[in-house]
Amino acid sequence: MKGTAAHIVRTLLLSLVTLFGVSVLIFLMLRVLPGDPARVLAGLDASAEQVDRIRAELGLDEPLLSQYWAFISGVLQGDLGVSARTSRPVALEIFARMPATLTLAVVATVIGSVVGVAAGVVAAVRRNSVVDHVISSVAMMGVSMPVYWLGLLLILLFAVTLGWLPAAGSDEPLSIVLPAATLGAFSTALVSRMTRASMLEVLGQDFIRTAQAKGAPPRTVIIRHGLRNAFIPILTVISLQFGALLGGAVLTETVFGWPGIGRLLVDSIAARDFAVVQGLVLVYALLFVLLNVFVDVLYVVVDPRIRY
Amino acid sequence: MIRSTARGRTARKRIFVALVATGVLLGACSFEEDPAAGTGGEADSTFSIAVGIDPDTLDPAGQTTTTVQNMVDYMVEPLVKMQDGQIVGVLAETVETSPDGLTIDMTLRQGVTFHDGTPFDAAAVVFNLERITDPALRVPLGSPFETMQSVTATGEHSVRIALSKPAPIFLNALTITTAGMISPASVQAEGNTNDNYQHPVGTGPYTFTSFTPGQSLTVTKFPGYWGEQPHYETVEFRVVPEAATRESLLLAGQVDMIILPPVSDLEALRNNPDVTVILGESDRSIYIALDNNDPLLSNPQVRQALNHAVDKQAIVDNVLFGAAKVMDAPMSSALFGYCSTGSYDYDPERARQLLTAAGAQGATLDLLTPSGRYVQDQQASEAIAGYLREVGLTVNVSTSDWGAFLGRVNAAPSENTVDMHLLGWAPGILDADQQMQMFRSATHPPAGLGTAFYTNPRVEELLAQADVEVNQDVREQLYCDASTTIWQDAPWIFLWTQSFPVVHSKDVTGIATTPTEKFDAVHARPAS
Repeated sequence: MKGTAAHIVRTLLLSLVTLFGVSVLIFLMLRVLPGDPARVLAGLDASAEQVDRIRAELGLDEPLLSQYWAFISGVLQGDLGVSARTSRPVALEIFARMPATLTLAVVATVIGSVVGVAAGVVAAVRRNSVVDHVISSVAMMGVSMPVYWLGLLLILLFAVTLGWLPAAGSDEPLSIVLPAATLGAFSTALVSRMTRASMLEVLGQDFIRTAQAKGAPPRTVIIRHGLRNAFIPILTVISLQFGALLGGAVLTETVFGWPGIGRLLVDSIAARDFAVVQGLVLVYALLFVLLNVFVDVLYVVVDPRIRY
Repeated sequence: MIRSTARGRTARKRIFVALVATGVLLGACSFEEDPAAGTGGEADSTFSIAVGIDPDTLDPAGQTTTTVQNMVDYMVEPLVKMQDGQIVGVLAETVETSPDGLTIDMTLRQGVTFHDGTPFDAAAVVFNLERITDPALRVPLGSPFETMQSVTATGEHSVRIALSKPAPIFLNALTITTAGMISPASVQAEGNTNDNYQHPVGTGPYTFTSFTPGQSLTVTKFPGYWGEQPHYETVEFRVVPEAATRESLLLAGQVDMIILPPVSDLEALRNNPDVTVILGESDRSIYIALDNNDPLLSNPQVRQALNHAVDKQAIVDNVLFGAAKVMDAPMSSALFGYCSTGSYDYDPERARQLLTAAGAQGATLDLLTPSGRYVQDQQASEAIAGYLREVGLTVNVSTSDWGAFLGRVNAAPSENTVDMHLLGWAPGILDADQQMQMFRSATHPPAGLGTAFYTNPRVEELLAQADVEVNQDVREQLYCDASTTIWQDAPWIFLWTQSFPVVHSKDVTGIATTPTEKFDAVHARPAS
């Protein structure tokens, strides 16, 4: 455990370097992007003077180095700046949408993990049976189906035709069902495919035969000997998937009018709202770093052979 | 073996604890949301509208987008408004312009109070007009107010505005949301500051209640409203960016009204007995700006050829599903100063002849198009390119996101790399003035929106006269004359004026649209 603690500290320290790199990259990438933020903000009919005035207001007429310094020194003091588009503090913009994103990501990941692992285990154990083929085909559909299309179909069925669920928004408890199911469908498919493959590999090993030979009940063989040993790649897929969802699921958020950070990011890029994009990407990078550390710890819990 | 099992149990226990914790967190997250905000039992007293755009700012002075202005209009009112082409008072009772056009005297409606209880008076007008002309404040649509020299209170309920030059457009400009009246006290209250004004306090029929970015804006009836009281206690604007989802919300009965459904479904919606489709007239013209500096496109014959080559009606019918009207002038018929100037009939044979005469047969042209900004914009561009290829041209269509698009079409002539681009323009003021800006050398990029780099001395002269002409009949004729010349010069491929579709439930009535792409649903009520 001591090694693990040291590993976490080392990872966190190293991630500071990563975050610094991310901040430089996103800063530069935004400035290389074609399109003048002041013009986008001012509108097509604004005069050149108005555009210049806005550019000065945003500090975009300063040299790059001092712009970066203004950005990073603000970040170090906990100030992410002010949105050019809305005049609201960037931190406020992000944290107004974070709960929605977190809720959706967690629910979709739970659906994906529980259903996906269960389906994958069943498919592996009943290999080449009808059940396996059905699960595999459904999973294939789940992975290949565009989120957009699935989302709209679910809305048509459950909101318009049956009238059971809200079609969009996030202001009712039931609002989460459709977007989470849509997102979860993809995760489920991905996780079940990974689980099946990983389980098949493990179930073919000698120690499984040994366990069976010594008379362990099938459930114990499958869960304790099989799944536990197959779990590391599954956990990796789940955590990567969760990480991706933390960045916001733009398409799902758009279809369901879900007020998450994915849409905020896309809207802000379109509006060349540099401060918001920079702030969001940094927060996202930080979350990803923390998630990675968390998963590293989970690895040790799941597989005690792992030592850092 | 035993050791490992024990560890296994601990691990499982930990995972279980983690799962339970996640579940609790989840429960907390999803039920913490305010259930009262939904369409609950009091459905009757809430009117719910799904819109596509998330408000960037609710400060009237900061407005750019008509949809957001539309929401602000529920809370904040202007001094005057346009009605059947005439300026009529809202918060102003009378408006008197001096014969030289330099002075405007207004008397104000008495007994009007802001939502915060402070009186609406001359001081408030002075405050607001000075605010939107303050160079330190960002006022994107503020340019028409630059002619204002001073505004002074001449009494408790009267003001005088002095202009630096006659500006017939000035009164029209006072109708837009930018010039809406907010309570002077409110820029220091409700968490507002002068340059971060998020809680509007006006005189309108509804007061601001709550705004959740990316989700919804809610307003509540103002009991002290001076005018006719609206029917619904609250109005909820729900932000739903996807058109198909807005349509579903309406069909599922979860909202009362939506704007901009998918145009491909207009026909089906019209045939649906539960909803009403309003295909509102809009002043937004859609056109292909041609680079009039280009060696090839500088020849009017070539530009006329391009206009003849495209079957605009067929595109409107088949690509836009009828949600547009083919242009017959360089501006929408909704604008003051419009007159019909003719048509470029679909005539590919004539187009080929003109191209041959100009030595431009088989030329290669690039067409840049936005994607998803205007109704079926990219699809229309592809169709247009198809027609141009049929008359022997090589056309490459490309698209980019709005920021990059603006950067390319707004480049100075020396850096311009775009032969043709599709663009839409909807004047916020229903006057030819704002449309005609696009045909003047003063607005050639990077200075403004004259992205075709078109100029003609006769047009420049007519427009300069119109700028200061106080007699409206004369001014109208000047715009008509300029339009005729522009039409012949064909700096654009004149396409169509877009429609503004609004769909509402058959259970409600009292809804209309304005040509500035706004809906008028303040006095919506149940259809009995």
